[in-house]
Amino acid sequence: MPARSSRPPNAIALRDAAVTFATDAGLFTACQNINLDIETGSFVVLIGPSGCGKSTLLRLVADLLPCAAGTAEVNGAPPEAARKARAVSFVFQDSTLLPWRSVMDNISLPLQVGRWAALGRGHRPVKELLELVRMSGREAAMPHELSGGMRQRVAIARALVTQPDILLMDEPFAALDEITRESLNEEVLRIWRETGTTVVFVTHSLEEAAYLGQRVVVMAANPGRIADIIDLRQAKPDNRIDRSSQAFFEITTGLRRVLEKAYRGEIAA
Amino acid sequence: MSMLKPLPRKRNLTWLWPLAGGLSLLLLWSGIIVLGEVRPFIAPAPWDVAAEIWKNRVLLAQNFWPTLLEAVAGFICGNLAAISVAVIFVHFHTVQKMYLPIAVLFNTIPVIALAPILILIFGINITPKIIIASLVCFFPTLVNMIRGLEAYTSSEMELMRVMSASRLEIFLRLRLPRSLPFLFSALRISCTSCVIGAIVGEWIGSTMGIGSLIIQATFNYRSGLLYAAICMSSALALSLFAIVIASEKKFLRW
Repeated sequence: MPARSSRPPNAIALRDAAVTFATDAGLFTACQNINLDIETGSFVVLIGPSGCGKSTLLRLVADLLPCAAGTAEVNGAPPEAARKARAVSFVFQDSTLLPWRSVMDNISLPLQVGRWAALGRGHRPVKELLELVRMSGREAAMPHELSGGMRQRVAIARALVTQPDILLMDEPFAALDEITRESLNEEVLRIWRETGTTVVFVTHSLEEAAYLGQRVVVMAANPGRIADIIDLRQAKPDNRIDRSSQAFFEITTGLRRVLEKAYRGEIAA
Repeated sequence: MSMLKPLPRKRNLTWLWPLAGGLSLLLLWSGIIVLGEVRPFIAPAPWDVAAEIWKNRVLLAQNFWPTLLEAVAGFICGNLAAISVAVIFVHFHTVQKMYLPIAVLFNTIPVIALAPILILIFGINITPKIIIASLVCFFPTLVNMIRGLEAYTSSEMELMRVMSASRLEIFLRLRLPRSLPFLFSALRISCTSCVIGAIVGEWIGSTMGIGSLIIQATFNYRSGLLYAAICMSSALALSLFAIVIASEKKFLRW
């Protein structure tokens, strides 16, 4: 994807951000004191125990949840403006393909809603996207005819059709088997390199985090917060690593220690 | 290679089972009439009914069309009204909270009690029959359609919101297609009950239709004709049911 000249250095900037929910028991803080800058074009992974607010953080960026305190900026503007400009795409854990639409029609869905035509921006041809996610020739297939891994490939193609600046992925491969997941991890890295899109990826899997992220944001729960940010750019030159290498083992081991602390709640709020 | 033989392809003869069941019941019916020496005006034998249908085919056809018209008009009006109200209810929850309980309350009134009221208001013509048939269709479709329009998953709704989809776009591209399986299960119910509605309307005040034929046949002890009229009303309901099933197969292929 041609890098847009107007892209700010930070795709996402969160300052003391917090998200709260009104519940029957009162105000619940999903996450707080979030300070995070995500560089344009980078690959950042969020990991942490359940209830640490990693999915919440993704929804704050996507403007699905409001910022209760602090500030959130997406592409140098409030999340709402980024959403309306269609700068952000989301991939869910369940593929969320509409079952009555073919692969082709599912991928075109983002172009049929949300005043896309009025924005006057070019989109990526569906045929090209199917090649990108290695699903060529399946445009007429219905979602129920596809395996879980294939459905996620289509969901990724749908997310990329608008050529978004930012791709948010909420545990997209959590429901898949290990081998499918590993091959899709490689595909995601390849797509990231090819498109230049900023990727924020939420996962439960330590290996997935270690393999994908240039930086891994480790979060802790009660209240949801950032426990540590681990920079892997030195350890993984060009963000490439062999899963069976000693270096990869060392990265996962280091990450495991931080994550275990976060699970035990040993990192102060 | 595997020792297992390939399964023989099952031929689609499932319709034979209900046919066999029906025939066995006809046999039972005939047996009771013959062995019990039941007099024809109390209960006729199946062949008497068949003969009666043939003998009265013109009379039956004359009374078939008004009932068909009332039932179909009621089916269309009742379902369209229910779908429209459901669309309003899911978009304006205050309206739903105000009027859904009233719809539930209204549904508890027996149709048989409502019919004379409507005939007093609209007179002895086709209008009250269509209204009764519509009312019978209205409630099941309303309840199912409300459920159907809310039957999207949370991630589907989030997907639409991330794409900045408008309310109308969310309705047309997510809620409406999601509601179709629910709508069709309601249509299956209402396509047979609208015939009952039309017939009940005809009982109370009418000179035409299967309903009035049933009343006349009963008062004149013409049980053969009564049974023939009942067969007509079943045939009508069954053909409407077949149409609904066929369109469901056409529209719900996923």
